[in-house]
Amino acid sequence: MLKIIIPTIMLMPLTWLSKKNMIWINTTTYSLLISLISLSLLNQPSNNSLNFSLMFFSDPLSAPLLVLTTWLLPLMLMASQHHLSKEPLIRKKLYITMLTMLQTLLIMTFTATELISFYILFEATLVPTLIIITRWGNQTERLNAGLYFLFYTLMGSLPLLVALISIQNLTGSLNFLLIQYWNQALPDSWSNIFLWLACMMAFMVKMPLYGLHLWLPKAHVEAPIAGSMVLAAILLKLGGYGMLRITTMLNPQTSFMAYPFLMLSLWGMIMTSSICLRQTDLKSLIAYSSVSHMALVIVAVLIQTPWSYMGATALMIAHGLTSSMLFCLANSNYERTHSRTMILARGLQTLLPLMAAWWLLASLTNLALPPSINLIGELFVVMSSFSWSNITIILMGTNITITALYSLYMLITTQRGKYTHHINSIKPSFTRENALMALHMTPLLLLSLNPKIILGFTY
Amino acid sequence: MNPLIFTTILMTVLLGTMIVMMSSHWLMIWIGFEMNLLAIIPILMKKYNPRTMEASTKYFLTQATASMLLMMAIIINLMHSGQWTITKVFNPTASIIMTSALAMKLGLTPFHFWVPEVTQGISLTSGLILLTWQKLAPMSILYQISPSINLNILLTMAVLSILVGGWGGLNQTQLRKIMAYSSIAHMGWMTAVLVYNPTLTMLNMLIYIMMTLTMFMLFIHSSSTTTLSLSHTWNKTPLTTTLILITLLSMGGLPPLSGFMPKWMIIQELTKNSSIILPTLMAIMALLNLYFYMRLTYSTSLTMFPSTNNMKMKWQFETKRITLLPPLIVMSSLLLPLTPMLSILD
Repeated sequence: MLKIIIPTIMLMPLTWLSKKNMIWINTTTYSLLISLISLSLLNQPSNNSLNFSLMFFSDPLSAPLLVLTTWLLPLMLMASQHHLSKEPLIRKKLYITMLTMLQTLLIMTFTATELISFYILFEATLVPTLIIITRWGNQTERLNAGLYFLFYTLMGSLPLLVALISIQNLTGSLNFLLIQYWNQALPDSWSNIFLWLACMMAFMVKMPLYGLHLWLPKAHVEAPIAGSMVLAAILLKLGGYGMLRITTMLNPQTSFMAYPFLMLSLWGMIMTSSICLRQTDLKSLIAYSSVSHMALVIVAVLIQTPWSYMGATALMIAHGLTSSMLFCLANSNYERTHSRTMILARGLQTLLPLMAAWWLLASLTNLALPPSINLIGELFVVMSSFSWSNITIILMGTNITITALYSLYMLITTQRGKYTHHINSIKPSFTRENALMALHMTPLLLLSLNPKIILGFTY
Repeated sequence: MNPLIFTTILMTVLLGTMIVMMSSHWLMIWIGFEMNLLAIIPILMKKYNPRTMEASTKYFLTQATASMLLMMAIIINLMHSGQWTITKVFNPTASIIMTSALAMKLGLTPFHFWVPEVTQGISLTSGLILLTWQKLAPMSILYQISPSINLNILLTMAVLSILVGGWGGLNQTQLRKIMAYSSIAHMGWMTAVLVYNPTLTMLNMLIYIMMTLTMFMLFIHSSSTTTLSLSHTWNKTPLTTTLILITLLSMGGLPPLSGFMPKWMIIQELTKNSSIILPTLMAIMALLNLYFYMRLTYSTSLTMFPSTNNMKMKWQFETKRITLLPPLIVMSSLLLPLTPMLSILD
């Protein structure tokens, strides 16, 4: 694993020592090379994990997330070039350093064996993200957004620290590879109920669960494009990944403790999808759609069947790529009109036809069109929740319909119709932007040819 | 002040604390405290104006009361054990009185009222000495009598200190008052684990002193005593803003900075001793502290505060040269991976 971590850390001296006209080229190229290294981890020979050392390992769950993380860094760098072009050189280098630091911490989080090390790195990812949102965001609301983001996550995760330490006292070790063989049922008592809550609330806030999702629209909207991309694509998946890891230890309380959260998620996904239909702010629409998709992942993880775990993993990867692509598209609108209001930039298909093609593909994958991996994820989750309880099919069906509705609403509002006269003079699409969209779309389309690599460890 | 006299007075302060830490006779400890108190008054009053006079008077009154209470506890101990050696305190009354006296010296709730007012009235360097060096002597006595301290009283004081330190600092814009409330909260953390594992108290003290030293030196470097003047540092030394950000986040206890290490170890020790609700409450109340540190970082490093043109062209007559600053900054932010080295503190 050091073959990925050390080069990522070395990206920082690379940015500080590069010349002015080479910083973007150097960092993007080398981060693409690092993502190629991480692809080798996808070759998981057995269901057991690929064990590299005492501290880092990778298994069929963490390998796709790791590849997604490393793939996203060059994309983030490409997306940030325009809004940073007018900043002084040192601030550009600081921004890239923040992104690289975040990347290193994320790689270490996804591959940590010991759960306390996972916790420390999980918390550590908050600091660079906070700095990116608060320092480089564009509106004054970003200060509030940073505070909400930091404090919601910290309030949820401090009980997690106490819970992890008490589990360590109980079982002697928190090394993940050992725990999966420990397999002892937690006795049924009040304190174990609180232990379950303490373990899960941190990830519920991060996912986010419907009642605790207030930080997400604020943070996603106020963050600059790289911040939005990494938040939507990876940081939400940290919550899902943590939940998938920690539920192995939490039986049998999960069978009754999960009910409130299942209800909140099932209701919440319909609520947030419906809110999307009434949004005027483009980034806010994509943020609420993230909440809705993640609610599906929460439902899948809490049901705890092999098919639902497959669906959760596939949905996380698919949503990561799709959501990040939608944010890039929204940012290309923002850079031209300097406004996030949807109706101010409509009828773009006449002006930017290639970008309209990317908008179409992104919206189609967002509404889970076959044969994309979004569909595989959602379908597995719908099927397993149907087997858990027949009635959920009504809610799931409604959600799929409303998702289709708002995705097409977003597509039609921004692309179709007559364009307004005030966007006559926008710049045509840069090659960088088209390359960015292609690099998002290509993994999505290629993965639909071989989805078993993203189906996780219950395949 | 005449440099020779200043050196003598400073040495007396150091000597007082050393006598406290190294004696085995209770009377010598009391003498050490008194020497420390009398010698630090001129240091607190380096600038002669009514504010420093008031601050020094408040400090003298509280510390003298605490010393007298300590003396009473020593006498009760003498009556019940017949000897003056420091081993443990032989009588519960004496133990309670001694704990209260030492809490008064440290600034724990409910004896915390003097800390913000005294710290605000004195200069930054004197404030530095007050909040770091002066805590060493009472803490060493608490360490030595830790087996015989009444757990209920100490834990109540600790938890209330964390609460007061968090809530009290929320309405402050003066940097010295913010550091004072931060000191109250950190003292609360230190005394909470005293009965379970005194080594962690020492670890927390060490890291707290490093972080407070760093913060004060950064303030001295930019000669700022209010949030407003701190927000002008991006004009003069932009690097200082990044350092203030890192040190404040470390004081708030965010991983992966070294301020997280004492909190983590304390939570681990308390959980091992089967108290689960207490460390959870303490950790959540430390978030209050983090809120006003975040407010400071917002005005200093994460936004560019508007400033008049006068501020941009301010002359710097002499650059204060603080030699110890870079190593302190490194130590107060990057020590977390060295946690396994804790065993050297035993």
